[in-house]
Amino acid sequence: MNIEMSASDLAFRDDVRSFLKDNVCKPGEDYGRGRLDWFAKAAAKGGWDVPKWPQAFGGPGWTPSQHYIWEQETARASLPWDLPFGVGMVAPIIMGYGNAEQQARFLPDIRARKVNWCQGYSEPGAGSDLASLKTRAELSADGSHYVVNGQKTWTTAGHIADWMFLLVRTDDSGRKQEGITFLLLPMKQSGIEVEPIITLGGAHSVNSVFLTDVKVPVADRIGEEGKGWTYAKGLLQHERTGLAGISRSLVALEGLKAKAASVVCGDGNLMDDPEFRGKVATLEIDLLATEFTELRSLASAQAGAAPGPESSILKLKGTEIQQRIQKLTVEAGGIYAAAWGGNQVGPGFARAGMAGYLASRAYTIYGGASEVQRDVIAKNVLGIKRSST
Amino acid sequence: MNFDLTEEQQLIQGSVARFIKDNYALDTRQQLVASATGYSDTYWSMMAELGWLGLPFAEENGGFGGNQVDTMVLMEQFGKGLVLEPYLASVVMGGGALKRASDALKEAVLPAVIDGTCKLCLGYAEPQSRFDLHDVATTAAADGGNFIISGHKSMVLHGGSASRIVISARTSGERTDVNGISLFLVEAEADGIQRESFQTVDGLRAAEITFKDVRVPAKNLIGELDAGYAILRAVANDAILALAAEAVGAMEMLYKDTVAYTQERVQFDHPLADFQVLQHRMVDMFMEYEQCKSLLFRATLETVQNSDELAQRSIHALKHLVGRAGIFIGENAVQLHGGMGMAEELRVGHYFKRILVIDSQFGNADYHLQRFAI
Repeated sequence: MNIEMSASDLAFRDDVRSFLKDNVCKPGEDYGRGRLDWFAKAAAKGGWDVPKWPQAFGGPGWTPSQHYIWEQETARASLPWDLPFGVGMVAPIIMGYGNAEQQARFLPDIRARKVNWCQGYSEPGAGSDLASLKTRAELSADGSHYVVNGQKTWTTAGHIADWMFLLVRTDDSGRKQEGITFLLLPMKQSGIEVEPIITLGGAHSVNSVFLTDVKVPVADRIGEEGKGWTYAKGLLQHERTGLAGISRSLVALEGLKAKAASVVCGDGNLMDDPEFRGKVATLEIDLLATEFTELRSLASAQAGAAPGPESSILKLKGTEIQQRIQKLTVEAGGIYAAAWGGNQVGPGFARAGMAGYLASRAYTIYGGASEVQRDVIAKNVLGIKRSST
Repeated sequence: MNFDLTEEQQLIQGSVARFIKDNYALDTRQQLVASATGYSDTYWSMMAELGWLGLPFAEENGGFGGNQVDTMVLMEQFGKGLVLEPYLASVVMGGGALKRASDALKEAVLPAVIDGTCKLCLGYAEPQSRFDLHDVATTAAADGGNFIISGHKSMVLHGGSASRIVISARTSGERTDVNGISLFLVEAEADGIQRESFQTVDGLRAAEITFKDVRVPAKNLIGELDAGYAILRAVANDAILALAAEAVGAMEMLYKDTVAYTQERVQFDHPLADFQVLQHRMVDMFMEYEQCKSLLFRATLETVQNSDELAQRSIHALKHLVGRAGIFIGENAVQLHGGMGMAEELRVGHYFKRILVIDSQFGNADYHLQRFAI
């Protein structure tokens, strides 16, 4: 057993630090040219713009510990905004299951961040039970295109996206996981209507997307008809690291302590309050444990082993910790946590803290609700077979 | 960065696991619990022959030269086996203090500790001290070439069968001062010592020991006069790491036994494991076990490889989580076993009781949370 970084890891960390120091994306610049320049410079470092892509597609081929170092270092830097749907989600599916023409057509623009993507998975009747989706795609008589009808929901960034990748039903005669097909379609076309859904923090990031007689060329289907479920599941397995957001939580915890220390409370500040300090300490202990759970998982990935049982708990523990940090931030806001409209009153963090807390409630719902995650661990890790109930 | 065991550590792990499989069936264990000393002298000799009693001692003293990772590997298996022999008391606690003694004292005592003929114990707690190592009312007064010790040591693990006792005593300062504490090695049969030995709830043994004008030669002072606290703190940290490893072994057995039992036990025409509410509880038990294991690795490796300050914080974190998570796992293992969980004939209850006792040693979950939060 050894927890020291190797000399090459230390050298890599220094390289990352100096790159991040020399290439700060200043606020205000990040929506304009500065953002694309940043990614171009990261690309010039040898795939740093797409850390998780395989080397064959231009990725850097980092070891798991290099990925961890990148996550640690970037958690403190101000990186330009980047939606996960393109580089992180549809690209691996196109690489794994798309044909050469599709790879040549889509991947360069995804990598350059020129095209924004959104994900069309959930439907009003298909949330945790995603395979129940009903959006239909009928193949035209001449076999050249599909005609898509249905509704997608909780579509993050649907209102700013150029393209959507989506799961549709092409056959409902067999098991519900069969007969699902994976399609790509441009968002700016007739037959697509996007309606905002306003969530608890007041933000507009998710949408309903209505699809009426939308034509999708067969050339924009990924892989075979009816195999879409398999492809979508493959993506989930692609996500090995960064699930728990440990590095970001460690930074956020420091922020929470600083905020609480700025709140006057009796003769001292809120961090002098034993109850509050105890909650922060309990949270930090769980975070320190989860950090090592992630390192154990990384170490086994580094050795080329299949993820051990410890890997399965990262999403659950990581999102729970993120929520607890948000919750304590609201507590730190005290009476001012309730202020919502009008001009800023009370501690500067209080309003954003409440919005952040409300938004964080989604962390244990999306990407497989925590209850579904527990079902999966019971089955795959504890080996509990459910007899038919 | 890796969490792999060395070949030697794998050998230790395998040999302890085999020893437990061959010798530690629950009914055998319970017969030992009911015996006069509360453990097996035969097993103790086997442990000496296998070299386990020399694990953490330097090679020049006849030991194996192992570190806290080696002890962790062994103690995790002991936790799975509910082992009764005074390994922690004699090797980790008493021996841990002696490791930090003068060369002369080490040479005089450690060979007998390693061959098992001398059993040590550590008297650190007192009736008023609760979990504070520096709250020491027992006094040691210099008298020529001797010290004269008087006081009361509480809940001394395996104090009844030990041949020598390591104790903390105040040589200067006020009752709760960190400075002014000294450690001594005392013959258990010395005049003025009274030992009242009893069973603890987990089947192990402890003793209340009183000292009335006990004369100890000055050469039996461990470390420098008045500077015993630092040694005591280091020994307590090693003991916490060892206890946590033992607890992690027990937790693994608890969650796995529960998963197995709920798949066999049928109620309402279904195995209990069919019910989602029970599945999710068991997933939570499994997750807490993995988290404890992660902090055990963290605190142990930081102790071996990093600064004391960093390691101290992780040790507080570990002892807190082992108490909180261990009791959660233990209570739920009993709960999910239903009535059978209450029966002494099943092992889950014994693991649960061991975990309860571990929480009470060297500071419980609340105590270490407070220390961590400072």
